[in-house]
Amino acid sequence: MNPLRVVLAVARKDLRSEWRTRELVPALAQFIILALLIGNFGFQIDSRNASTIAPGILWLALVFAGLVAFGRTFAAEREQASLEAMLMTPASPVAIFAGKALAAGALLVMCEAVLLPALSILFGTPFSGDVVAAVLLATVGMAALGVLFAAIVARVRARELLLPLLTLPLWIPFVIAGGVAVQSAMGLPGNYQQAIGLLLDFDILFIVLTSLAARFVLDE
Amino acid sequence: MSIIVGNGLAHRFGNELALEGVDLVVDAGEHIAVLGDNGAGKTTLLRILATALRPTAGRLQIAGLDAFRERRRLRHYLGYVAHAPGLYPALSAAENLQFFCDLQDVSRSRVEQVLDEVGLTSVAYRRSDQLSRGMQQRLAIARAILHEPRLLILDEPDASLGSDAADLLMRVMKDKTVVLATHDHALANRLCQRTLVLRRGRSVGTATRLRVVR
Repeated sequence: MNPLRVVLAVARKDLRSEWRTRELVPALAQFIILALLIGNFGFQIDSRNASTIAPGILWLALVFAGLVAFGRTFAAEREQASLEAMLMTPASPVAIFAGKALAAGALLVMCEAVLLPALSILFGTPFSGDVVAAVLLATVGMAALGVLFAAIVARVRARELLLPLLTLPLWIPFVIAGGVAVQSAMGLPGNYQQAIGLLLDFDILFIVLTSLAARFVLDE
Repeated sequence: MSIIVGNGLAHRFGNELALEGVDLVVDAGEHIAVLGDNGAGKTTLLRILATALRPTAGRLQIAGLDAFRERRRLRHYLGYVAHAPGLYPALSAAENLQFFCDLQDVSRSRVEQVLDEVGLTSVAYRRSDQLSRGMQQRLAIARAILHEPRLLILDEPDASLGSDAADLLMRVMKDKTVVLATHDHALANRLCQRTLVLRRGRSVGTATRLRVVR
């Protein structure tokens, strides 16, 4: 069996379902805009402090949007009772997990496509390739971890409460390294190359760890 | 040759004993019906036989393999229709099956054939949440036979199927080993050679056709 066929089939199925129902992305985009507006009105933003405050608002919006996006990945499968049917096939649980993470990551990237230009407009911060690269690299690792924990908590009742409790502590490395990378890309002190290197290391580490764990989480 | 050999199968949900010491042997090509009231343990037994649920006690062999150690290998071999259809509501009937073709490593050309077999060709491109409950059940059956399994585990497959349920199931079950749970004794008698009756998680006996323990 070709695992790539399974990964692409699962991701395509999730994205097609989202495209037809439009349940998640419009709500998340709206949430992101509101978070940016609250940040913009809540702080006294001017040209001197915009670059200091904007990265914090960006990561807050991204983290909470990510929790909602990743939380839905397995919750929807359980509500439809379709997870068991998927796991009853000979497809590798790791490939199924990778497909779900790919789709959830892609949905978050769609939200980032709203978030980054909106941040630039509302806070007057530069919208550069460096900022995009840092956010995208963080999204990869955050998606891997978020979807794994979403799979774990999908079986319990208090999943909305448990998902942030489990996920947020492990997202901290991405927020710290991503925060440094975005700040330095916005002209504040910080070593951009070092932060990007750290993000890459975290991505590799968490992709390997979550792939190993996914087999046990989904198989049982 | 025995396809299913289960010894002392038991399952607990917390303190609740759902199934207790059930023994079951099903021969190749045999059709066996599992009967019992609501809560008798039919679904639990079928989920164990489908390798979707690990028993808390007992041993299960399917096609000579340890069903839980080798369950990935066995998934090519068995098809399962669960209690709930478990379809993707935003996808059409054909898209639901195409997705499972990819997961089962089956050619997508099989979709047309299977839809025809369960009588859903005319609604192939209708979203599955716009299908009637009976059509959704047919689609769940189509998904279970997509990879041409030799063993079928069917949990109340006649639910909402309508008047031609028996004919459809007879077509689908042909040349396969089948374990079928149902409340319909007449259907069980028509489709199966043997019945296993469960009461409060225990087997209260098996009978051949027309001699169902009440």
